[in-house]
Amino acid sequence: MTNAAPSHQSAPLFALRGICRTYGEGETAVRALIDVDLDISGGELIVLLGPSGSGKSTLLNILGGLDRPSSGAIHFRGAPLTGQSEHALTHYRRRHVGFIFQFYNLIPSLTARENVDLVGEITDDPLDAAEALELVGLGQRLDHFPSQLSGGEQQRVAVARAIAKRPAVLLCDEPTGALDVKTGVRVLEALQEVNERYGSTTLIVTHNADVARMGARVIRFGDGRVRSVETNTARVPPSALVW
Amino acid sequence: MRALDKKLFRDVWRMRVHALGVALVLGCGLSVMVMAVGMRGSMERTRAAYYAERHMADLAVSAVRAPERIANVLAQAPGVETIETRISGIALLDLSGVSEPPSARLVSLPIEGRPRVNDLTLARGRWPDAARADEILLSQAFADANNLGLSDTLNATIHGRRQTLRIVGIANSPEFVFVAAPGELFRQAKRFGVIWMNREALARAYDLDGAFNDAVFLLGRHANQSETIAAIDRILEPYGGVGAYGRDRMVSDRFLSEELRQLSTMAIFLPALFLITAAFLVNIALGRVIATERSNIGLLKAFGYSNTAVAWHYAKSALIFAAIGAFIGSAAGIALGRSVADLYRDYYHFPALEFSASPATFIGAWAAGLAAALTGCVFSVLKAARLSPAEALTPPRPTTFFSAGPSLSRFEASLDAKSRIILRRIVRFPRRAGTTALGVAFAIALLVVARTMPAEMDYLLDVNFGVANRQDVTLTFTEARDSAVLHQVERLAGVLYAEPFRLDDVILRHNGRSVNEAVFGVPEQARLSQIVGARQRVMAPPASGIALARALAEKLGAELGDEIRLEQTRGRRISTNVRVTAIVEPMIGSSAYMEIAALSRLMREPGRVSGAHLRMDTARYAAFDRQIKQIPGIAGVSFVGQAETAMRSEFEQGVGVMNLIYAAFAAIMAGGVAFSAARITLAEQERDLATLRVLGFTRLEVSYILVGELMALALIAIPAGLALGALLSIWLMQLFQTDMYAFPFVFNPAGYAFAVAFTLGCVAVAALVVRSSIDKLDMIAVLKARD
Ligand SMILES: Nc1ncnc2c1ncn2[C@@H]1O[C@H](COP(=O)(O)OP(=O)(O)O)[C@@H](O)[C@H]1O
Ligand SMILES: [Mg+2]
Repeated sequence: MTNAAPSHQSAPLFALRGICRTYGEGETAVRALIDVDLDISGGELIVLLGPSGSGKSTLLNILGGLDRPSSGAIHFRGAPLTGQSEHALTHYRRRHVGFIFQFYNLIPSLTARENVDLVGEITDDPLDAAEALELVGLGQRLDHFPSQLSGGEQQRVAVARAIAKRPAVLLCDEPTGALDVKTGVRVLEALQEVNERYGSTTLIVTHNADVARMGARVIRFGDGRVRSVETNTARVPPSALVW
Repeated sequence: MRALDKKLFRDVWRMRVHALGVALVLGCGLSVMVMAVGMRGSMERTRAAYYAERHMADLAVSAVRAPERIANVLAQAPGVETIETRISGIALLDLSGVSEPPSARLVSLPIEGRPRVNDLTLARGRWPDAARADEILLSQAFADANNLGLSDTLNATIHGRRQTLRIVGIANSPEFVFVAAPGELFRQAKRFGVIWMNREALARAYDLDGAFNDAVFLLGRHANQSETIAAIDRILEPYGGVGAYGRDRMVSDRFLSEELRQLSTMAIFLPALFLITAAFLVNIALGRVIATERSNIGLLKAFGYSNTAVAWHYAKSALIFAAIGAFIGSAAGIALGRSVADLYRDYYHFPALEFSASPATFIGAWAAGLAAALTGCVFSVLKAARLSPAEALTPPRPTTFFSAGPSLSRFEASLDAKSRIILRRIVRFPRRAGTTALGVAFAIALLVVARTMPAEMDYLLDVNFGVANRQDVTLTFTEARDSAVLHQVERLAGVLYAEPFRLDDVILRHNGRSVNEAVFGVPEQARLSQIVGARQRVMAPPASGIALARALAEKLGAELGDEIRLEQTRGRRISTNVRVTAIVEPMIGSSAYMEIAALSRLMREPGRVSGAHLRMDTARYAAFDRQIKQIPGIAGVSFVGQAETAMRSEFEQGVGVMNLIYAAFAAIMAGGVAFSAARITLAEQERDLATLRVLGFTRLEVSYILVGELMALALIAIPAGLALGALLSIWLMQLFQTDMYAFPFVFNPAGYAFAVAFTLGCVAVAALVVRSSIDKLDMIAVLKARD
């Protein structure tokens, strides 16, 4: 049903064709995504920008294997992601996807290190937890529980947790949404660091136009449609962002 | 309805699963309470009414042969209001189609009128015609068990003579509510009954014309029982009086008292376990509600509701739980009571036994239920009352966790992250973990108790029939015979081996105390009827002196080496001293034992034996039976092997029902706490578990966190439950212990294993039911909302 290239090298990491996602039926149906076509190649840092309710999270959830499009097809590394079983999707998330949520979603009964280790336990070749936490600047707070960390610190633990499995793709839904500027910047720095060092394709969802300035590509959303895709020629490091 | 009350019902509806759990657990406890207390009261009332209406004897005595004129002397004894003299004996019956003859107690009816003491109730038929020697009344339990009815005839061997008896009525007597053959401690309705018959016919059979060998008395209101007993004993002394005794030694009444005592025990022990569990369940359910209701509490207080009003609001939901539990308990208690009353009615043949629980019983049960619920909610409710409105309106601080502590850190480090989550939650919420573990431990303990009691019974039967009474048949002679008679006995059809025994009824005296008991003479090399020594092992009879059962030694206050007095109550009425040379541990009875030759010498009847225990070729019972009925001088034939089979099957039936009830109780207990705990764990961790699913954990892995927590708590509960069960069993068996039975501790590994396996199964089922919601976790929702 698609004309995706058969081999890894030439295929984009994700190829989306005609993706629609409709919630509900009839009169009250909400069309969250309408006919989205997109190619995402390996190692990119992409910012998805758009007003609230424009379908960004819906797209991210579909890419992460949490949700299924109502129609259309997605290929991941040339293999179809649509039409897979629940079990296969779980496996896909386990192997390839790192998630970062707006509210961190750390396990409160585990320390920073253990939250990272948790993911390591279901991964073949994980990063050392201490190393991952060092990378996000939390080398000193390994044995703190989430309740003992600030929001920004918790989000950086979440970043460390997401990268510990060396994911092919990092999906970040409003990662700075609950943070102030200063701590938000540190989280974005960590994300960029990871993207550069490990080459994980990174998608950052935001409704904040400023954040978009750090992306290599910026995809604008409006009313469930891709409005524009621009390559950012003047990338700005997170430290220079203000909002 | 006030807004707050609407909210109350909404709250309870939201907590309905927990409410149901609490109500069921409470209901179990209260139903047993209502049943046991109500049944106890009903039985006591029924017994009292029955005794009063039928003039149940206050005292009884037997003698060898007392002339009838002595009755007048006895009637004048202080305290005696009414006397009835009787002739009593034992008959061997010959029922068609029953190869092993059962036996019956014979009791004479007055020549004129009805018995003035121990009167009967006719279930069917009519009273015998005094002019007809062959007309009898038969006890109902025996008649029913053997399908005997009016105008059936019985062939009986009475004192060695065969007679044909005609059943004209089926009757019950307060004297024989519970009937057991002499020396037997279990009822066997099929094998032993009571026959009331013509006094003159019995007098002829026992050669007691113008005399009696048994008397029963009613005492006046202000009689001093021991004074009356002493007077009666003095009067009957020359006539072979064996010592008068009160109701405390009348087998039937004693058995009923024992039953009432067991009901009292049950009224306390089972409900206690359930009420405690219910209190803890209320505690965790309300704790959870109040935690989620924080901001509502803040609002209520901000609107001006007082702390008391808020506390009362939450306490009311606990009271609603309790009310539902009380309702279930009362209804189930009545149903349970009615079916137990049916059982008792069939078993005891009380003229009327209706289960009725007094209002006080219900009020007591409800009060206990409310008290349990209030105790359970008091902590959470106080917490709600103390919460300041400002504090309550701020979002709750996230739950802080901590490492399990230095003692567990090594263990913790060896765990994977999922197990660590489980461990930390258990350590973080000890009260809830404790509740789950407690409920599981109680369920295990309940089952251990339920399985130990039949195991004790089995052990008792094993010892009785494997050590103490291994014979197939016991023959008793009408009087002691020379041991040469054994050769004749061995020639009877089917007899493989005969072993003599001697039995002397005596009064044992020591330190001013006296006890009526039997002394058994046992051959040195006994193979059939052996003495049960320490740890229920076979013991040879003492070479000299006498061995006392522990209970008997305790009653006499006699110790090893003490000299005690023996007074024979029949025959030559020998009186002599003998030294206690052993204390033995028969589980049944509290007799004394001597070497047979020594005993016969002591009683100045050297070489004479009272009967023989036989090992039989069971295929030749019929031939044996025919021959034995022709032999004079045989007082009784007891088919011990048959008795064993009958007893074991009767016990197994009772045990089956009991096991079912206990299993249901345990399932509710363990299932209830596990279900409650699983629901709360799930509610609290929903977000974390969904997060794990997003991170790529499979359903199985995520389920492990939920199910693992419960199973870990259940595992922790196992040793506690087993220990508690063992202690409870020991305590209960001690309560059931009398001088008739002694129960050593019996370890029953299969029962323990069952208790653990069944309870873990219940926990697992509850966990799996709750687990299914993990399949429906909404992964997308948790990414959006902050909890
Ligand atoms: N589970 C759902 N049911 C119904 N409508 C939904 C659901 N999830 C999202 N929507 C709707 O889909 C649209 C896109 O939502 P979303 O992808 O969350 O937007 P964004 O992340 O850009 O704010 C919105 O109009 C939202 O209301
Ligand atoms: Mg969104």
